[in-house]
Amino acid sequence: MDEIKTLLSAKIRSYKNASQRGGKRKLLRAIIFFSMALLFWLGTFFVFFKVLSYFSSIEVIGTLLSSKLLSMVFLTFFSLLIFSNVITALSTVFLSDDLQLLNALPLSRPQFYAARFIETTVNSSWTVLFFSFPVFLAYGMVYSASLSYYLTLAGVIIPFLLIAAGAGIMLILLLVSIFPARRLKDIILLVSIVLVVGVFLFIRFLQPERLVDPESFYLVMDYISNLKAPTSPIIPSQWAVNAIAPFLFDTGEDWWLFILVLWSTGLAFVVMGEWLFERIYYDAWSKAQEAKTARLTRSKLMNRLIELLFKPLPSQIRVVILKDLRIFLRDTNQWPQLFLIGALIIIYIYNFSVLPLERSPMPTFYLQNLISFINLGLAAFVIAAVAVRFTFPSISLEGRAFWILKSSPLKLRTLVWSKFWVNFFFLLIPAELLIITTDLLMNATPFMIWLSAITIAGMTFGITSLGIGFGACFPRFNVENVSQISTGFGGMLYMIVAISFVGLVVILEARPVYLFFISKTRGFPLTGVEHLEIMGLFTIAFLLNILAFIVPMRLGLKKLATIEM
Amino acid sequence: MITLNTVSKRYGDFIAVDAIGLEVKPGEIFGFLGPNGAGKTTTIKMLAGLIQPTSGTVTIDGWDLAQHPIRAKRVVGFIPDRPFLYEKLTALEFLRFIAGLYNCSSNGVEQRITYLFRLFDLTEWQNELIESFSHGMKQRLVMASAFIHQPKLIIVDEPMVGLDPRGARLVKEVFRGFCAQGGTVFMSTHTLEIAEEVCDRIAIIQRGKIIAAGTIKELREKSGSEGSTLDSIFFKLIGGEEVQKVVEALRL
Repeated sequence: MDEIKTLLSAKIRSYKNASQRGGKRKLLRAIIFFSMALLFWLGTFFVFFKVLSYFSSIEVIGTLLSSKLLSMVFLTFFSLLIFSNVITALSTVFLSDDLQLLNALPLSRPQFYAARFIETTVNSSWTVLFFSFPVFLAYGMVYSASLSYYLTLAGVIIPFLLIAAGAGIMLILLLVSIFPARRLKDIILLVSIVLVVGVFLFIRFLQPERLVDPESFYLVMDYISNLKAPTSPIIPSQWAVNAIAPFLFDTGEDWWLFILVLWSTGLAFVVMGEWLFERIYYDAWSKAQEAKTARLTRSKLMNRLIELLFKPLPSQIRVVILKDLRIFLRDTNQWPQLFLIGALIIIYIYNFSVLPLERSPMPTFYLQNLISFINLGLAAFVIAAVAVRFTFPSISLEGRAFWILKSSPLKLRTLVWSKFWVNFFFLLIPAELLIITTDLLMNATPFMIWLSAITIAGMTFGITSLGIGFGACFPRFNVENVSQISTGFGGMLYMIVAISFVGLVVILEARPVYLFFISKTRGFPLTGVEHLEIMGLFTIAFLLNILAFIVPMRLGLKKLATIEM
Repeated sequence: MITLNTVSKRYGDFIAVDAIGLEVKPGEIFGFLGPNGAGKTTTIKMLAGLIQPTSGTVTIDGWDLAQHPIRAKRVVGFIPDRPFLYEKLTALEFLRFIAGLYNCSSNGVEQRITYLFRLFDLTEWQNELIESFSHGMKQRLVMASAFIHQPKLIIVDEPMVGLDPRGARLVKEVFRGFCAQGGTVFMSTHTLEIAEEVCDRIAIIQRGKIIAAGTIKELREKSGSEGSTLDSIFFKLIGGEEVQKVVEALRL
């Protein structure tokens, strides 16, 4: 028991020490993060409260829907917990830096296992627990549950977390015994993202909007019969639902039986995990140490092609671009993000292809151009979201090797601008494709297509500059995973500024476009004042683009020059 | 080759380097010694242009590092104590990248890369990703990269860390050969034997100040320890005779 306490106290102290350092800046970040989490928490509560209130008002199938939703919530949490436990256990049990020391110490294996089990459970479960609370609170309030509901919920959640953690740790022990640990994290992440994207695309292509179409009303009967179908009784999430449902819907089931099943399974998973840990951990850990070598799949043709493509550029710019491209293509952490972005763009274009514009009571000409204008803002938002994943981290991606550039005779200006141009074209091509394809799908006017194409090109300058500039102002050279770079304070600030910039440009162009279309629809030419107004607003929008292009790059360059390695 | 003129570096209230002055002549191997936290790495980083002095000037090959950083950096090859590299590049791609940064990507660079790979015993690893390299291999790769542009000055922080005895001997020979051809080496080290064996002149830094500088002979005279090894001189100068006793007791 003492060993468990000692092992855990080292972790707790590390967290404490880290949280006490950093001063005002850290406090500000904590406040922003906390506020955002609180907003998300309140938002979740509000949405569930509204949905459940609506369900509870529907006769016959209302309770059925709430109960089905509860099953889905528990199933989602269970899947998230298993996934999170597998990823966390891979770090805590196999990849963590302190393992070299701990495995050399005469620690008792059961106590070492217990300490790592607790650490894995806490690290992987707290976020799920935090965000599940508003959901359960909404259920309790809508169905006026008594105190026994909340007590039973606590009795259900604990073994639920134990089962997920036990399963996660056992799964990772077995996986590491078979596959190399250092590639496993990438493989798990990639497969999960591909699966999620696949399911998402599948659901989108089923066209759920057809459900509101009265012609397909017969689907409701299928729907009800599907609701009544029981969920698999061997999944722990269903036991959890069965244990708390009687306190919400007065269904009078044997709730205590399911609590017993949950607890006995949870404890059994802890013991089974310990049994497996004792038997295979050291072999698996030794194997994880050996598997550091990474095979490189190189295409000589691809290498030659990109070298030829950038050959005309000056030596310093060429080598920086080639280095960035090679690292990007070889870093498996980037792939899941590419999949997500790809899926996002496909769904975006698909949505426009199925818009039923002809059924609207508004004039098609007017609607087409209105939506194509909204499209401009949305497409710029998508590009800003792509940039936070790829452009914003481009300076931080130099990582701890930044000393190489800083001690070389490469001007920081050259570095920053070469990164700018690569990212600009990387963003401009999907931006133009997105905007022109969607405008053509909607049969927008040539004026609108040209205006959108030019505006998005201008905004891409600003978005790229903001990404590089903010990335240089808030670099994170020491992160382990590229996805962590954009989720920090700087990434958040970049998104706020980029969205405000996009919003402002769209607002500034809205009035001129409105005046232009009104004059066209009514057949009256524009007046002198209106001409002036249009020119003035376009000029301000142009100036805003220039500002967004120049200022962030200058600030970033200034900050980068003062960074000390 | 190097002139440090009353160079200081402060971090808030803490003075890491306190108004130091040094002159390193072309063709010499200059050793920079001192206990942990004395200010060695901070000084080295200022010389490499990784951090800026709070006050004072650093001149390299006649160029003021603050006024003409690009010209000064062109003549320097820097080798840090920890070889953080671009792990997803191969060794060959990395050397080509460094050659490109120094604008020497055409004339004879491929032959030079081949020569350096052979010299640092990395030829058979040149097409492997750096992430699969051991610490010692990475250190040798950084050294190869520091010589790619034929620098006049090598600045090196703890050159022997992570190297096996063969690697360490190779490095000593490379440095000697480099200086014999007119190059200059400024190196910080903890390994007093290496400093004694390789360096022409030595400076000892403690609590941010240079407490002694000169040849081994001059240091012996200064510390009043005739015929002593650099170990004894070092401990006497930094006031660590007690430590020396402990070291000797441990050796027994």
